[in-house]
Amino acid sequence: MTKKGKMKFSDIILQGMQDTLYIWKREFRLTVRDQGVLIFFILVPLLYPIIYALIYNNEVVRDVPVAVVDNSHSFKSREFLRHVDGTPDVKIISYSSNMEEARGLMRNKDAYGIIYIPSSFSKDIARMEQTHVSIFCDMSGLLYYKAILSACTEVSLDMNNDIKIERAGNTTDRQDEITRYPIKYQYIPMFNPQNGFASFLIPAVLILILQQTLLLGIGLSAGTARERNQFKDLVPINKHYNGTLRIVMGKGLSYFMVYAIVSVYILGVVPRIFSLNQIGLLHTLIMFIVPYLAACIFFAMTCSIFVRNRELCFLIFVFTSIPLLFISGISWPGAAIPPFWKAISYIFPSTFGINGFVRINNMGATLDEVRHESQVLWIQAGVYFITTCLVYRWQILNSRLHVLRKHREMKNKRLLDSREAVE
Amino acid sequence: MKAERKKKYISLYNVSKRECKNLVSRPIYLFCMVIAPLFCTFFFTTLMGSGLPTNLPIGAVDQDQTSVSRNLLRNLDAFQQIAITERFTDVAAARRSMQRGDIYGFFYIPHQTAKKAIAQKRPTISFYTNSSYLIAGSLLYRDMRTMSELTNGALARETLRAKGLTDDQIQSLLQPIVIDSHPINNPWLNYSVYLCNTLIPGVLMLLIFQITVYSIGVELKEKTSREWLRQGNNSIFISLWGKLLPHTIIFFIIGSFIDVYLYCYLKFPCESGLGPMIFATLFMILAAQSTGVVMIGTLPTLRLGLSFASLWGVVSFSISGFTYPVMAMDSWLQGIANLFPLRHYFLIYVDQALNGYPMIYSWNSYLALLIFIFLPFAVINRLKKAMLYYTYQP
Repeated sequence: MTKKGKMKFSDIILQGMQDTLYIWKREFRLTVRDQGVLIFFILVPLLYPIIYALIYNNEVVRDVPVAVVDNSHSFKSREFLRHVDGTPDVKIISYSSNMEEARGLMRNKDAYGIIYIPSSFSKDIARMEQTHVSIFCDMSGLLYYKAILSACTEVSLDMNNDIKIERAGNTTDRQDEITRYPIKYQYIPMFNPQNGFASFLIPAVLILILQQTLLLGIGLSAGTARERNQFKDLVPINKHYNGTLRIVMGKGLSYFMVYAIVSVYILGVVPRIFSLNQIGLLHTLIMFIVPYLAACIFFAMTCSIFVRNRELCFLIFVFTSIPLLFISGISWPGAAIPPFWKAISYIFPSTFGINGFVRINNMGATLDEVRHESQVLWIQAGVYFITTCLVYRWQILNSRLHVLRKHREMKNKRLLDSREAVE
Repeated sequence: MKAERKKKYISLYNVSKRECKNLVSRPIYLFCMVIAPLFCTFFFTTLMGSGLPTNLPIGAVDQDQTSVSRNLLRNLDAFQQIAITERFTDVAAARRSMQRGDIYGFFYIPHQTAKKAIAQKRPTISFYTNSSYLIAGSLLYRDMRTMSELTNGALARETLRAKGLTDDQIQSLLQPIVIDSHPINNPWLNYSVYLCNTLIPGVLMLLIFQITVYSIGVELKEKTSREWLRQGNNSIFISLWGKLLPHTIIFFIIGSFIDVYLYCYLKFPCESGLGPMIFATLFMILAAQSTGVVMIGTLPTLRLGLSFASLWGVVSFSISGFTYPVMAMDSWLQGIANLFPLRHYFLIYVDQALNGYPMIYSWNSYLALLIFIFLPFAVINRLKKAMLYYTYQP
């Protein structure tokens, strides 16, 4: 101890750097050689995004099959149905004679909705009375409902306008237009113009994959380190491994290297393969992803102390992906998340990673607009760096303790042995 | 003969007892079989507890500043799902706010809208939604569009009154055809009903896959599989039965609890009554356990088996079609979707609880689950060989 105290400060730094590099090299080699870790670091990031993108590739649901009950049998009702059938969202598969027959089609899953036109339909219109078209939707998927409702609404609005014009008795086309809509309105869906499912979900999934595979991979390698160690400790006994900072930095650096490359593939190549939105600026993205990766790596290293066996990380971490995706506020709007869960969501880098990345990548936000997210990520990176150091410090002390204890045991045993021999 | 049978029962009992000791001795079982499923149940139902998001923040760009525009925005703000939280002077500022994530959309009323409308010059108003947030975007779209229609109606009413029509006539004139929508058995469009009914069983199923694979794989890894087999009278059949029976019981208790919680406590639509759903839950649990056996049987390495289980379990959520319909996927994926037990459970849930059809309509989904239950026969010999001769490689 006294010897170390006399060491020059510059020497300590130099030695620290050397040890960091040594650990970095060793961890990198371990990572590359460990088939299990490679599955998480390479195979999963490579394949998962592709599976997801394939599932959601068609973006929207088209031609939802519906059954029709047309009790009006009139020119007007046929016009209405023809227009509905003409929309891309809905396809009429059957004209049923009554509701019971149409319900039968729904029970057999041949149809996902019923459009019911009352017998008074065209009479009402001719009499200048309001008429009601009923639609019944299977609620197993909201997209069916959305498709059927929007198709029918669209058609009814168009027909309403024509009827209005007929009745208003205008004299010129211009007047017709004005009666139709005194004020025009337009809807502009921004950043995902076709309201597609892939463009909405995939970017969030991509970011989540980074965090989850890091949790799994780092957890796995921590489990392996424990299994290989004779005292089931996380930190090996090795002259380079004496200093919390160098272990944490060395390991962190080697994970960061691997993930810098993985990120390029996941965030750069995958969206391009499936031609998803990608309007972010490169340097913004880099400036944002660096703190995200750092936060994820140190978060995963902190969590890895819970992993006592190699395979436990599967059981602990995999299922969390689903709640994490929901808590991020990408599908269930963040503004509607109860405060308690909102507070919990601050623990995970993915919450901010997802929100920031979606904004940069899908909405072309600059660093200024994701300042809040990137600040939180830097703070998380700092906090988790400290917690990682603490848990590693604790682990180092533990492993020293174990060695000392073992040493003492051996000594006692030898003493006993020698005493026995003397006797 | 009788003694033989008795011996079998005794060894079944012994294996079960041995497994119960395992379950108690490792905290991971408690975590994955009880804590994690219950946590997720609680999490999802409270996260989406309101059913529909309310007061989604939007912005307003009102350059018109007349009674017409103010009226429009005030009425828009009164919609339950909308709250106008910010006002901007131009569209660029509103867009930046959207990029910052402060608002989910905005309404734009340009200069002199009211003046132009009165002069019959047909001005244009616009509404923008951030469709990167799909749910928020489509909810906002609905309300903003309704508001635009209503505003038009109000203005057209003025013109028509001037032409001497009565209010009743005007009403039917403005909207001759009305669409009445009837979302069957979920009239509130409750998202919690729509998602939790499949999300929570999905999580349970993922954990069943993993626990089944883990409990078998860990015997291989720790070289206790021979002893396990010996206790099971050297019959792989008895060994597996005895081992998985305690799991089935625990999962069934948890699964039934979830059903009771969803359908009795939260009063989610359950047209069929609780009985058929508990029956379906039992089928789902057995199918998931059998799938787990198939997974470790085909890849008798703990790590690979667990990778398989995780992959299958996680992909289930997307491919079972409860968020994004299977009919919208490519046809080869529609075929693959049948290989996921969650898909069949989801179809049963829709038929029974949501729509209340007689059970006969779900026969093919039940048949599919039944096939899953019998699938382990295909890998049972391979698994036995692994149990006898396998050596663990990390």
